[in-house]
Amino acid sequence: MGEIRIEGLTKVYSGNVTALDRLDLTINDGEFFALLGPSGCGKTTLLRTIAGLEVATSGRIHIGERDVTKMSPGDRDVAMVFQDYALFPHMTVSDNIAYPLRIRKVDQASRAQTAARVGAGLGLNGLLERRPGELSGGQQQRVALARAMACEPSAFLFDEPLSNLDARLRLEARTFLKGLQHQLGVTTVFVTHDQAEALAMADRIAVMEAGRLRQLGTPAEIFHRPIDTFVANFIGSAPMTMLDADLVRGRLYVAGTTIEQEVAVRWSGPDPSDGPVVLGIRPEYVRVGAFGPMTVQATIRIVENLGATVLLTAETASGDRLQALVPDGTQPAVGAQVELSPVAERVLLYDEEGHLMTPATQAAPAPA
Amino acid sequence: MSPQAFLRRVGFVLFLAVVTAFWALPMLWLVTAPFDAHPGLTVRWPEWTLDNFRRLSESPYAFSSLRNSVLLAGGAMILVTVFGALAAYALSRVHVPGRGAILYGMLLLSSIVTGTAAMVPIFQLMFTLGLIDDRTGVILVLTGGLLPAAIFVLKDFMDATPRSYEESARVFGASPTQVLRHVVLPIARPGLATIAVWALVNAWGDFLTAYILLRDPTKTPAGVVMYTFYSEGGQANLPLISAFSVLYALPVVVLYIFVSRRYGFRFHGGIKS
Ligand SMILES: Nc1ncnc2c1ncn2[C@@H]1O[C@H](COP(=O)(O)OP(=O)(O)OP(=O)(O)O)[C@@H](O)[C@H]1O
Ligand SMILES: [Mg+2]
Repeated sequence: MGEIRIEGLTKVYSGNVTALDRLDLTINDGEFFALLGPSGCGKTTLLRTIAGLEVATSGRIHIGERDVTKMSPGDRDVAMVFQDYALFPHMTVSDNIAYPLRIRKVDQASRAQTAARVGAGLGLNGLLERRPGELSGGQQQRVALARAMACEPSAFLFDEPLSNLDARLRLEARTFLKGLQHQLGVTTVFVTHDQAEALAMADRIAVMEAGRLRQLGTPAEIFHRPIDTFVANFIGSAPMTMLDADLVRGRLYVAGTTIEQEVAVRWSGPDPSDGPVVLGIRPEYVRVGAFGPMTVQATIRIVENLGATVLLTAETASGDRLQALVPDGTQPAVGAQVELSPVAERVLLYDEEGHLMTPATQAAPAPA
Repeated sequence: MSPQAFLRRVGFVLFLAVVTAFWALPMLWLVTAPFDAHPGLTVRWPEWTLDNFRRLSESPYAFSSLRNSVLLAGGAMILVTVFGALAAYALSRVHVPGRGAILYGMLLLSSIVTGTAAMVPIFQLMFTLGLIDDRTGVILVLTGGLLPAAIFVLKDFMDATPRSYEESARVFGASPTQVLRHVVLPIARPGLATIAVWALVNAWGDFLTAYILLRDPTKTPAGVVMYTFYSEGGQANLPLISAFSVLYALPVVVLYIFVSRRYGFRFHGGIKS
């Protein structure tokens, strides 16, 4: 009922800015879907085009069974929560929540009733007679959610719903929002430029860049197998370590070490052509000590304490930089000579153009 | 405090007192002269009487002229506020090429439209339209003169309202008129109140337009009737003028207080800093 199907969607703004470039995307019914990407990649534009606030230059949008491409926003049966929440400052919280019903000519009494019911579900009792200006950021966000819920749409559209909250509240709101979406089971598309937020909340993520879809997948897929170096760089709290490497007749030369053919072929896929490649490994999957097929000698340069974990930045004799995330208390001192071993199952190889070479069998989502 | 600083302070206060007195004198005259048996051009403690008002009521057009002023100024106020709001909203939201130039051009021309310079063409225009000696004509000319500045100021109010408010309402299915009624106008209310009062005060004080376009003495507004309290020789009839002045000023003051209490004036000004 709430599936959103986007086919060949293109949006060109006046002045020849192509914000969306032939985008194909299907968002499943009931899914919590994240649009993730750097600033200016077209996330907001995509959301606004789904809502009908922007007119598509070409392409089609279906919501459920209906082709809504040419419909006005009000007929699309979606509710949008704006980044600034867009609560009407001259109306009380109750009137704000019930505003969609006022448009539908529901009478005053049942409007107040619905507002009270929906508001109570979001912990807004006692605030219903206030005005938005008298609420905290977190409360305003919940009022905006309540207003979207009051209209019982077939899809929710959120534009950076958490970005106006402070760091602590954002974590709380993240958990709350995910729980709420799960409970309502309504198709939800949300925009974020925060990869951690997308990984934590979404059922599936679309990573966008320059108006195009770079990768589409579950958080685990996106985290463990970024399809190219752009996504690999973008995803993860600590960026993936990228080491320049060379494939020569099946062997891999990287950071002063040589990887034998039977291991290298697991990373590169069968019959790779010789030439420069990039080896990617997340700091989470680099261990101190000699384990597995790849071990490099390195000197610890920087030690960053992140609480329960410590991020090490080491430099090899060949000048490559490698990061490792180790449990607190086990970290070597700055200047120490250590052996670092990437977990073989987590190593990814990217070709010269930055495309992933490593076959799916290599990096299984569940750690070994 | 050093003696010099003290002297400077005293000098400053004295200066303020003189300036205040300069501006306060006409006000004092306005509240004392009407109740004085022999009003002059000076401010003094009056010989209390209401005789001036009795004599005023004998003058045939005094009170009907106040009613006319209400009609003319009220009409201009409504038209300026309604059309000003609609035009400002459109100009704020729709991207018209050369929008800034249009606004400044209108503003420039508006001071000419109701100015003395344009009175002959305006008279001819009204004559052609058959609106001479018609209140509608006066209201239209006054509205035309006030609209550009009103649009200019109101556009600033509209610009300050985030678009997301309207977009949010639209996604919930609100029609353009509903967006205007439920969201845009309520938020622009302080601006609308300001403009309404400003338009009313301006139209209320008009003399020239009504003087030229109206013939029938039963239609003339207070500003013009005031002029009839001068004798042929240009001698001012101070008892009548002073009494009439109070009545003429009172409605505006009351309105101002009412609107200020009810809506609160908030003037952002028309110029972006
Ligand atoms: N109304 C507009 N007119 C012209 N160009 C626009 C308009 N809105 C957005 N753009 C351009 O379209 C591109 C995509 O913008 P969009 O707002 O969708 O980015 P975004 O991914 O939401 O970025 P952010 O994370 O900064 O919000 C940008 O290059 C932007 O400059
Ligand atoms: Mg955006």
